[in-house]
Amino acid sequence: MDMVRDILDKQVIDREQVKIGKVDGLVAELRPGKPPRIVAIELGSIALARRLGARPGGWMAKLSARLGGKRHGEPHRIAWNKVREIGIDIEFDIDVRETTIFDWQNWLRDHLVGRIPGAG
Amino acid sequence: MKKVLEISLGVVTSVGGFLEVGSLTTAVQAGAAFHFQLIWAIVLGTICIIFLVEMAGRFAAVSHHTIADGIRERFGFNAFLWPLLAVLLVNLLVMSAEIGGVAIALELATGIGFQWWALLVALLAWVFLWKGTFGFIEKGVSILGLVTLCFVVGAVMLKPDWGQVAAGAIPTVPNHDAANYWFMAVSILGASISPYLFMFYSSGAIEDRWDESYLGTNRAIAAMGMSFGGTISVSVLIVAALVLAPHGIDQVDDYHQLPLILIPIFGFWGFVLFIASLGIACFGAVLEVGLQQAYLLAQGFGWTWGEDQKPRDNPGFSTVYTAALFLSALPIAAGLDPLKLTIFSMALTAASLPLSVIPFLFLMNDKRYVGKHRNGMVSNAAVIFVIALGFMLAIVAIPLQIFGGT
Repeated sequence: MDMVRDILDKQVIDREQVKIGKVDGLVAELRPGKPPRIVAIELGSIALARRLGARPGGWMAKLSARLGGKRHGEPHRIAWNKVREIGIDIEFDIDVRETTIFDWQNWLRDHLVGRIPGAG
Repeated sequence: MKKVLEISLGVVTSVGGFLEVGSLTTAVQAGAAFHFQLIWAIVLGTICIIFLVEMAGRFAAVSHHTIADGIRERFGFNAFLWPLLAVLLVNLLVMSAEIGGVAIALELATGIGFQWWALLVALLAWVFLWKGTFGFIEKGVSILGLVTLCFVVGAVMLKPDWGQVAAGAIPTVPNHDAANYWFMAVSILGASISPYLFMFYSSGAIEDRWDESYLGTNRAIAAMGMSFGGTISVSVLIVAALVLAPHGIDQVDDYHQLPLILIPIFGFWGFVLFIASLGIACFGAVLEVGLQQAYLLAQGFGWTWGEDQKPRDNPGFSTVYTAALFLSALPIAAGLDPLKLTIFSMALTAASLPLSVIPFLFLMNDKRYVGKHRNGMVSNAAVIFVIALGFMLAIVAIPLQIFGGT
């Protein structure tokens, strides 16, 4: 399987089928004498910005850390051994509510969307 | 029976949703300035959008991806950024123009200047998106949009020389105002082939959970819906040519001239029909483009999306359309002439099409996505031809228009 072609940029869902992002980056482990092995995927704006270059990646990491605190200074990672199914989407055996991936959406809900009448 | 109902509903939706500020004003201007001579541009644009809409539906039904999902996955994030930014920008301008169209309709109806209506229109559209469901928006607004069929009735009542109409469907070189002629051809192509139209359609097919059993339905909806839509645009052009030219109006550069075109046919009701057509058609487009902005970002970045979920459960998605609506209302509220903005954004749409359409064509020829339902030679050739023509005309005609070739 060509991981970069087949996994990178795929839609990621959690075990409740919630769309939580795309595979924005791959983390591989280099092994002497053997092909590299995928150990995790990365999601979020820092991983995306890094694909544009080291400098945009650095800026985005600083910006995220300033907005969201230290724990948002690194890309979100999901370990590859949590993979459940690879189809149209790629499903991981996690619950997005137990991660920090949706912190920004939760912030929007608590501070903006939820305060507007009729948000349900 | 269920399929027949589905097809007719789909056709009604496409017909009601076809006409918007771009196709309406470009057709009026073209008819006034060049009689039937630019009908070919509407015909070419309509053929191209039939193919693109059919492809968008087929892609969603077979691959279960929206177009944005597909482009990002196939070409990677860095390549996806270009069509993403191009479509976001063009959509922003088009949405401003559509808000302007509704605002003009309100000005014509009430006498209160269009800029005062812009934010109100955005607010009303926002309420629809905030509270409405996909089916309600898609079908409800489009059924009201059938009022635009009054242009077809008007065109027939004027008894045009149908031989001349048919002759206009063949491209010819103008004998006056060449720069203006080609610029109008570009704007008409851009107005007919809006990226938001086929991208919205693919999102709709996913929201309605289409599978391969829908391929026939999809083909029928695309062919009939878009042909009827094109017929409305041609009718607007015919009406403008036959009504405005005898009154010595060959240049429509003031939107106050627009409602005149139906008055000789329907009297006072012509005025009312025109305002209703303009207002409803543009309002429908505001909703569609607003949703499309949110779809595009959500699909591109993999957030939850869907118009049927409550804003609370979908904060990223609902924030995007909220921001998009109010951002687009600002230029109109600041008093920017909606007519000029419309013509400019339509030409820019034509110029930007290769960025969104070419990656999409790659997907439509990729077995991994559409398997045996890949594009044939004809659909590839037709779309490439029209997109290339629009792009080449655009890069020549836009500078000429801006820097005064005439």
